[in-house]
Amino acid sequence: MTPGSEPDATPAGAGLSRRGVLRGTAVASAGLAVGTAAPGAVPTPATAAPGGVAPASEAAGVRPVDLRLTVNGRTARLRLDPRVTLLDALRERLGLTGTKKGCDRGQCGACTVHVDGRRVLACLTLAVTVADRRVTTIEGLSEGDRLHPVQRAFLDHDAFQCGFCTPGQIMSAVALLAEGHTGSDDEIREQMSGNICRCGAYENIVAAIRTVARTGAAR
Amino acid sequence: MSGSAPRTVSVSRVDGRLKVTGAARYAADQPVDRVAHGYLLLSTVARGTVRAMDVAAAERAPGVLAVFTPFRPVELHGTGNPFSVGHRWLPLQDTEVRYYGQVIGLVVAETFEQARDAAALVRAEYDAHPPAASLPDGIPGATDPGPIMGEPARLEFLAPGVESIEAALAASEVTLSGRYTQPIKHHCAMEPHAATAEWQDDGLTLYTGTQSATLTVGAVAAALGVAPTQVRVVSPHVGGGFGNKIATWAHPLLAAAAARVLGRPVKVVLTREQTFTVTGHRSGLAQTVTLGARRDGTLVAVRHEAYATQSASGGTFEAAAHTTSRYLYRAENIHLDQRIVTLDIPPPTWMRAPGQESGSFALETALDELAVELGIDPVTLRLRNDATVYPGRNVPWSSKHLAECYEVGARRFGWDRRDPVPRSTIDGDWLVGTGVATANYPGERFPASVRIRFRADGTVGVDSATADLGTGMWTVLAVLGAESLGLPVDRIRPDLGDSTLAPNIGAFGSGATASTGPAVAAAARAAIAELVRVAVTHEDSPLYGVPAEEIDYDHGRLVAPGVRIGFPALLGAVGLDTVEATGSAGPGPDHGRYAFTSFGAHFCEVRVNRWTGEPRVSRITTVIDAGAIINATTARSQIVGGVIFGIGQALLEGSRLEPATGRIANANLADYLLPVNADVPPIDVHFLDHPDTLFNPLGARGIGEIGTVGVAAAIGNAVYHATGRRVRDLPITLDKLLD
Amino acid sequence: MRPFAYAAARSLPQALEQVGADSAYLAGGTTLVDLMKLEVLTPRRVVDINGLPLRGVWVDRDGLHLGALERMSDVAAHQLVADGYPLLSQALCQSASAQLRNMASIGGNLLQRVRCGYYRDTASPCNRREPGTGCPAVHGENRGHAILGTSDSCVATHPSDLAVALVALDASVRLVRRGGATRAVRLADFYRLPGDTPHLEHDLRPGELITRVTVPPLAWARRSTYLKIRDRRSYEFALASAAVALDLAGGRIRDVRVAVGGVGTRPWRLPAVEAALRGRPLRVEVAEAAAERAVDGARPLSQNGFKTTLVRRVIVRALMRVAG
Repeated sequence: MTPGSEPDATPAGAGLSRRGVLRGTAVASAGLAVGTAAPGAVPTPATAAPGGVAPASEAAGVRPVDLRLTVNGRTARLRLDPRVTLLDALRERLGLTGTKKGCDRGQCGACTVHVDGRRVLACLTLAVTVADRRVTTIEGLSEGDRLHPVQRAFLDHDAFQCGFCTPGQIMSAVALLAEGHTGSDDEIREQMSGNICRCGAYENIVAAIRTVARTGAAR
Repeated sequence: MSGSAPRTVSVSRVDGRLKVTGAARYAADQPVDRVAHGYLLLSTVARGTVRAMDVAAAERAPGVLAVFTPFRPVELHGTGNPFSVGHRWLPLQDTEVRYYGQVIGLVVAETFEQARDAAALVRAEYDAHPPAASLPDGIPGATDPGPIMGEPARLEFLAPGVESIEAALAASEVTLSGRYTQPIKHHCAMEPHAATAEWQDDGLTLYTGTQSATLTVGAVAAALGVAPTQVRVVSPHVGGGFGNKIATWAHPLLAAAAARVLGRPVKVVLTREQTFTVTGHRSGLAQTVTLGARRDGTLVAVRHEAYATQSASGGTFEAAAHTTSRYLYRAENIHLDQRIVTLDIPPPTWMRAPGQESGSFALETALDELAVELGIDPVTLRLRNDATVYPGRNVPWSSKHLAECYEVGARRFGWDRRDPVPRSTIDGDWLVGTGVATANYPGERFPASVRIRFRADGTVGVDSATADLGTGMWTVLAVLGAESLGLPVDRIRPDLGDSTLAPNIGAFGSGATASTGPAVAAAARAAIAELVRVAVTHEDSPLYGVPAEEIDYDHGRLVAPGVRIGFPALLGAVGLDTVEATGSAGPGPDHGRYAFTSFGAHFCEVRVNRWTGEPRVSRITTVIDAGAIINATTARSQIVGGVIFGIGQALLEGSRLEPATGRIANANLADYLLPVNADVPPIDVHFLDHPDTLFNPLGARGIGEIGTVGVAAAIGNAVYHATGRRVRDLPITLDKLLD
Repeated sequence: MRPFAYAAARSLPQALEQVGADSAYLAGGTTLVDLMKLEVLTPRRVVDINGLPLRGVWVDRDGLHLGALERMSDVAAHQLVADGYPLLSQALCQSASAQLRNMASIGGNLLQRVRCGYYRDTASPCNRREPGTGCPAVHGENRGHAILGTSDSCVATHPSDLAVALVALDASVRLVRRGGATRAVRLADFYRLPGDTPHLEHDLRPGELITRVTVPPLAWARRSTYLKIRDRRSYEFALASAAVALDLAGGRIRDVRVAVGGVGTRPWRLPAVEAALRGRPLRVEVAEAAAERAVDGARPLSQNGFKTTLVRRVIVRALMRVAG
């Protein structure tokens, strides 16, 4: 990946008013339903460039945003379509695929990362909103070969099976330890309930967190 | 080295470090240059035809490379097959709409955002007809699905002189009948299905999460009209499968076909919503179990009728009776009747313990009802009817210890303290109850091969084209490789999840370890023999000319009188980088002479709020008789995961199919409720240690699915004990428990 | 997601200037980004207001003030809230997940959209999303829907837990519009019943912005709770919930606040229940009798009839819990 030379990079300066909007119509007739794949609206460009193809930015009304994204202590300069979420920026632009997309709707926790040290969901965070903030992903947790104590504890307690939700679980657990709500197993369970694990590694996740909390190894 | 069951070890996953650091690459994580992004378009009616699609706006949208539809399809060959493609049709090859959420198009663009947002610009018009989408409405028209595992769908064993199952039931001292229902359910592996297809020359590399790289190669090659040798499937890590990554669904076919047309790699990742209809699910069911018994609890007759949803597109329905009542208990008269209700819905497929999951809910709940009726302890009732030979076949089990499961479980759980009277235990605002149920799952073996490769650097490669879905297969290969070769685990380099490795049908049916494990031992024998052959035939070898039978293999060394040389030194001496051999294994000669089944017992405690009715599981003890356990660490995790799957079945999960539209109304993870961490109580798992060496040399029968079986019944039985209310319709939600 | 222009507002006046007819303010993003992906919301301009000075949790003689951009988790953990208004803290802690609570703002929480599956699916009709197209939930999937305040046009439940607790406390929101004029609206009046116009969700005028929430002083709110009942133990919206505060004197109820969630098309204050409790001794029978009034005028749907029982039980259980 080469920051600054993104395939979706589009020239700045596109106007906002180039896109007309027509409402789609859903028609019903006797015995026959006519549905639409996307009954919201069918956009038609008010103007089209020669050849019938509008320049990307103008047809879409997108003004790309130049920003610096600081992830795991490294700063990348990106030109991003504002639609890009932090999750997709990490995965598709920066090659940091450790953060997973499990639902893309804030319903599973697989994309949990830290922004300025707080656990958040990268799928509901627009990348442009975290410019100049500190983003930490699973790739930034260990120091060289030395695993973070929570990573170590997940290994030791077999706190995962397929491993897909694991980066999110670990990022959530690291934040939870900092938040300090680890007084009981029930508290840990509740505080970790935003991270779904279909394999059912929950018990071992709780054990891993409990162990780190008791030894204070996370700090 | 082989022939006797290996000792059980407790080893951390060898792929664990990759998984806790985010370095494990799943299908959507593979870095591929110039990859374009594909986004699927799905139908919004359930039955009819696509009359027209307006793709003009999408094609004009920035970054869009192509929009494929039934009117402008990619080229695919054949007709599909429920066992390879998951359904009996191939995407975009016709305009027929078979269910709501069927693939009707693919938009490919430079970026994910461009593809997704252009897809929303496509407008489809349909000639639509009302769908059939209701199980209850379809039951009168239910049909015979044909043979199930080699036996007729309507199967009956009657005692001599008994004319019919009705007669047997009528003659019983006690009869009892219950109707049990459960909705369609979805696997919801955390990794949404994905495929990245890359062509180089005429060869396709397909990165896609699959339980069987081998089957995927076959399905993809056939659909693309290329030779299987031209397709390589890479799937080192699978983010959960549970049966839904066996069939090859539409997305890898479209990704591969689009990549071929566009001349660049294409990645298609399903949205969570799309996984609910583009891929499979578990049938919904209505079952009736009728039991006839003597007053002492002896079962005389069991009648189990099951109606499962099936798709008009084909698929694998849930065979509930043939997988449970068929053999679980000894009864002189058994009558099974499996029917299907064919609907305009997405195709069902295998889902963790297919058949047993639903069948055990019906049968094991009915048994609890019988225990209550007769005033017999439910554990006693089950032990009284424990089958010692497989009904109707009169073959014994190779190794069966169900009674011990119950005895050990009862002790660990404290079952003897139970007051059998419903609603007898109240703890503050909570009604407390306990229940039990039996778990069962067959031992399955498939042909498998493993390649073992001694390397000059002192490591040994152990590879097979199997899969690790979180099941611990990476670690099993390492552990068994180490065991077979007498080497430490850290010198073994396992490899899997690549169709170019040693042939292996894959990971399903709880049979991956049972099938692949014996092949490790076979490969070790073959590789050692090859090492010896090299040693005695190569002039530069210190063992040159020594008769092969005088050479022993000992922990990585070849030993002969006066000579002792490790394989790295030997390879160095003869100037070879590697020495390798492949070994295979398959079902043994005893198959057919015995029945191979794993058993287990679940003991469950449930608390139901006396005011607001919500049921919560507070503890579970599960005892499993699955033969030998290879790695206790990952085995326990598998069983715990299975139990939690059962908690979901019992209390939370159900796909809400709208009868009028055929739409799944809760196709997302906020509305399709999976258990979260707070839902899961302490789970006590215990394995009996009875290696089943009649089944395979490992003595291991497999553990991936059995943990789920019976959990819902145990929970439901505990709910009855807590509240006095019998809920026969899953999931058991609070609205069914409010007074 | 429709393409949109992004701008980060550096000041309140600038934010109010930047916003136009097809604009949306972006705070935590947990509603907006979600619904933009689904194309339920299609703003052409998104104004990021996270840089605005709408923060802080403080108490003065007007009561407790919550800055609109305070995050749910921070408010829940704030000592003034946790000590003085446990029901607020508890409502927040039982909402969503820890990650979402770290993201979502107080103002955004109050403006979150309904969770009705038809509203969220642009392939389905929905009067709230597209006026006049109909409401499939009335005869469709409605187990989670409302029994109070519904109309033939819309039966969606208001999803906010916080709003229920705030309505119980007579809270108000302060709104500012272009030019700087402000007004305060009682939260109970802020939300509109769906009636024939379910797309008009609240009394927020175009471009107007919530700057803070104010809870009037109520010393006895220390004795309060928020009880939320759901199928799953966590990370789920309410099937029914109750926010209760009690002023108990010698076993008698001197004053009481009761509001319920998960059952109404807006946060549902229950003055009739409160009246039936006032002056009475707090006993289960008294609570049960009073809770009967909670379902006055309830209109159960095909799948959610259980809520008429559940909501009464939740109230009783919450009252008994607060009584200790």
